[in-house]
Amino acid sequence: MLALVTVSAIFLRWLPQHGLPILLLFAVSASAAAAIYFSQRGRYSASSRGISEESVDADISAVLWTAFAGMLLGGLGVGIVLAG
Amino acid sequence: MTNSEEPGGGAVPPSRGRIAERLLPGGEEPDPRFTLANERTFLAWIRTSLALLAGGIAIEAFTADLFLVPVRKGLAVVLLLLGMLLSAGSAVRWLRVERSMRHRAPLPLPLIVPLLAAAGALAAAVVLVFILWR
Repeated sequence: MLALVTVSAIFLRWLPQHGLPILLLFAVSASAAAAIYFSQRGRYSASSRGISEESVDADISAVLWTAFAGMLLGGLGVGIVLAG
Repeated sequence: MTNSEEPGGGAVPPSRGRIAERLLPGGEEPDPRFTLANERTFLAWIRTSLALLAGGIAIEAFTADLFLVPVRKGLAVVLLLLGMLLSAGSAVRWLRVERSMRHRAPLPLPLIVPLLAAAGALAAAVVLVFILWR
């Protein structure tokens, strides 16, 4: 989450060079960071409970969403670089 | 009595959800510490991927007086594509490791490691050549 917040702040830093499209990258990374922030308490509780019960369900949807966010950021970045 | 027990005493495995049943079929739940360690490794790869994405945009934004436009754009696109590939590759690797652990099979080799090393070396070589050539 902190890495996504940092990256979103870095994206904002490049607003003068790349213009408004960079706000898309900022929005995606900031939204992903917010989603992680607001869901982390539940995931932490589930992990703690899982350790005490010796059984944790693999969090597939979280992994797939995070990977999708990374790919979306990359795709948008390529579009912005090629269009610039 | 918990949800995973029948009145007769026999244990019923809890439902894992449709996506989990489809992507991680069969086997048995591994030690929770291994599952969580696999997730931490995935997150480490995602951090690397984010660094590459940020680096790709940075090259395009800040190296205008260092590189020719095609080289600058090429390097930026290579880094961004590498970041994308790493995001997807880290999810695939997480899935393969999780499957192996469920079936108590040997862990798969990390295919994204040689890929990342080769692409990183290529990008570094291009930068080196252009810095020496200028």
